[in-house]
Amino acid sequence: MKKFRVLIGVAILYVSLFVLFPAKGQESLFNTWYYIKEMLEIMPVILVLTALIEVWVPKPFIEQHLGESSGLKGNVMSIILGSISAGPIYAAFPISLSLIKKGTSIENIVIIISAWAVVKVPMLANEAKFLGFKFMSIRWACTVIAIVVMGRLAKRFVSKQEVLEHIKSQENERVVSKKIQINERTCVKCMLCVKAMPELFEYNGKVLITSLLDEIDTKLTDNDFVQSLNNVADRCPVKAIEMQLSLE
Amino acid sequence: MTVGLWSVSLIALLFSLYKKPLETKSALGMASKMIKNMLIQIVGILFLIGFMLSMLPPELIKGVLGSSNQLFSTVAGALLGSVTIIPAFVAFPLVASFLKLGASVLPAIAFLTTLTMVGIATFPIEKEAFGLKFTLVRNGLSFVFAIIIAFSMGVILR
Repeated sequence: MKKFRVLIGVAILYVSLFVLFPAKGQESLFNTWYYIKEMLEIMPVILVLTALIEVWVPKPFIEQHLGESSGLKGNVMSIILGSISAGPIYAAFPISLSLIKKGTSIENIVIIISAWAVVKVPMLANEAKFLGFKFMSIRWACTVIAIVVMGRLAKRFVSKQEVLEHIKSQENERVVSKKIQINERTCVKCMLCVKAMPELFEYNGKVLITSLLDEIDTKLTDNDFVQSLNNVADRCPVKAIEMQLSLE
Repeated sequence: MTVGLWSVSLIALLFSLYKKPLETKSALGMASKMIKNMLIQIVGILFLIGFMLSMLPPELIKGVLGSSNQLFSTVAGALLGSVTIIPAFVAFPLVASFLKLGASVLPAIAFLTTLTMVGIATFPIEKEAFGLKFTLVRNGLSFVFAIIIAFSMGVILR
């Protein structure tokens, strides 16, 4: 429910706005539509790109070119990467997340996000048109230098470990379903697993992994838990429980 | 730009689905879950921005950018740019018109820079993605550097 807090607040705001100042309400909606359109134009692309990075870009490649020891070359790569992109700053977040996981340094992530926000070719042309070429090129040069310095400063304040831990805690739910999966095509819904381990498996039209198991990593170090999990997987008549566990 | 991105990513996606169907599908699923969570927040924030924009008259921006104390108006310009999200193609002509009316160039630069780099509005989304500390540091640095950029440009342009 926490996720919907902003949305609910906004709904209340708009309803009262339309009751009290209908003209303002209309104007607000009109403004919002511009941003919504911008979002709809870019987010599907971001979705695809994030997935493609996940599948195709090997971790060592990212580590070498954008990682901790990529140096100035990595910075330049990051600026190019950020500036060929399009869309508002939040569109940079999903892609940056997958790049961090693949081994990009904090320094370069800050550079990518900042360049994404500022250095864009259509925007530069627009700025030159209204404020002059000299103004635009000097501001652009100053900004690029500032972005690189910012990246290098940021890594002194924020350790990559902290960010990775945060990402991991946000992702726990997804981690669970990646480690243990139920093959929907072979599952015959015999309910054996649901009955044996109701804390892990649930039935909702199909057999699912419960999402509430936040502590899966600590559970997996628990011998009894792992034992019963292995038992259940063995007893599944069609072997539909697929596990990718590295168990010690 | 957008059309180009759409076509390139669609072609790449089809190729990927053909070459590595299973991995691609599972990665798509994971990415869409992550983005779906983000979108719920983004949509709320976009409505909030639309509301703010209708409440914030251009005269206010002009008043802030045109103040006589240079340091004060530069910091104020940076602050104003942090809290607002105006599309850049609206911001450039707006700023150009203020400059023509004789407004000082430093606050205008600070405003333009924080407008895109610092996001108070997108702060919650960034925080959820990367954590509080990262978000504070990145936005804080961007704010400080916006002012530094403004002053160094003031020196260069003089």
